[in-house]
Amino acid sequence: MRFLLTVALALGLLTVESVVVKYLGLSLVRIDVTVVLVVFLALRSGMLEGAVSAFSVGYLLDVMSGHPTGLYPFLAVLVFLVVRLGGAVVDARSPVAFMAFTAAAELGHGLLAAFFNWMTSKEGQVPASLSVLPLQVLLTVIAAVALWPLLKRFEAPQERAQPSLLR
Amino acid sequence: MLALLKRQRELIVVAALLLYPFVTYLTHGHRGREINLVDRVVLGVTSPVARALVWTCDGIGDTVSSYGALRGVRAKNLELSTENSQLRAEVNSLREQSAENERLRKAVGYVEATAEKEIAARIIGINPVASFLSLRLNRGESDGVRAGMPVVTADGVVGRVKRATGGASDVELITDQASKVAVLVQRSRVRATAAGRGGGHPLALENAVRTDDVEEGDQMITSGTDGVFPKGLVVGRVTAVQRKQSGMLLSAGILPAVDSTRIEEVLVVPALVPFGPAPPPPSARAAERKR
Repeated sequence: MRFLLTVALALGLLTVESVVVKYLGLSLVRIDVTVVLVVFLALRSGMLEGAVSAFSVGYLLDVMSGHPTGLYPFLAVLVFLVVRLGGAVVDARSPVAFMAFTAAAELGHGLLAAFFNWMTSKEGQVPASLSVLPLQVLLTVIAAVALWPLLKRFEAPQERAQPSLLR
Repeated sequence: MLALLKRQRELIVVAALLLYPFVTYLTHGHRGREINLVDRVVLGVTSPVARALVWTCDGIGDTVSSYGALRGVRAKNLELSTENSQLRAEVNSLREQSAENERLRKAVGYVEATAEKEIAARIIGINPVASFLSLRLNRGESDGVRAGMPVVTADGVVGRVKRATGGASDVELITDQASKVAVLVQRSRVRATAAGRGGGHPLALENAVRTDDVEEGDQMITSGTDGVFPKGLVVGRVTAVQRKQSGMLLSAGILPAVDSTRIEEVLVVPALVPFGPAPPPPSARAAERKR
């Protein structure tokens, strides 16, 4: 049930994002709502359910982008694992910690996406998206602040007692 | 063995979730995405939502701007009325020129026509991944839109339809890395190719020889030889022309004529009737048969 809710939420957020980006006239900057979701899943859900949900969120981004097959599910699961590892070391239950993790995850996600796009681009040119990455991180953190109350509602009644990577 | 698999179930599933898409990306990623059932379902679900959002936002915007526009409407009305008269005179003159053009084109013996009328579409969303900037339209297969059709505005070329589903379609912009458009310099009629570079970069001018007459600021139009875009649509203006000491080709960029972040509506051009000489009149054919 929670998995379906996550997928529905991801679809809704991606749709809203695509419309918001149109009205804001942004060409290179995006509000990475999928990263916000993946970070929340990493910090607040079980290992298996979270990983499958993160994969699905990444897959939806892949479908919506209509371009590379496999890059965004891979990045989503990778970010999920890294954030989960971080959550096992640092107590990340507070909203502030969630924002900090989101900022770090968005930075890593943006850099990795740029790296893979650079690797597979024709001329091997540095992606222009790198120059706007700080603004993208800022917008994503603002989205995380706005989504925090909504995401808290999705949280399972039984919160993870002891956060650890594979537990 | 089974017990071990059971114990390590989580690890195995997570490893598969991580490795499967990565391997798929490395092996098939460059080929692009084939439209499948999931794509159709996702686009089918999200497009009406996006359309409703755009409709709501536009409605609110229109209401606010209508209220503001009511001020000084009388003076504006008078001004527009005068402008209308001037434009009518201009339209008449242009009609004359258009008719003359048509006569000349027929005399030269070339026809260029579209099989169907253009399909007007509205932009309801932008790709959530910035590296692959593409636009989502509110028209799809049910409206006659098909993959590969060119998309234009009054200002020039936007791109071509990359995928179309029931009620929506995605447009690959001419700035996309995968895009190539056959172009010519309007002033000197030099032929070349405008290749997209992605990531917000201007287009690259390819296949133009160093000695070709290409200057900065030249307007580039579609040549119509790629079989996708009709001839004569504005692509952009030439910028940063460089003629190196060595090498056959010159290097230049093209600033696109259409700012894809500002457009609201576009036209999808249905399949073109290929270029070719107009068929000879029946009398000429009969004379040829006699000979």
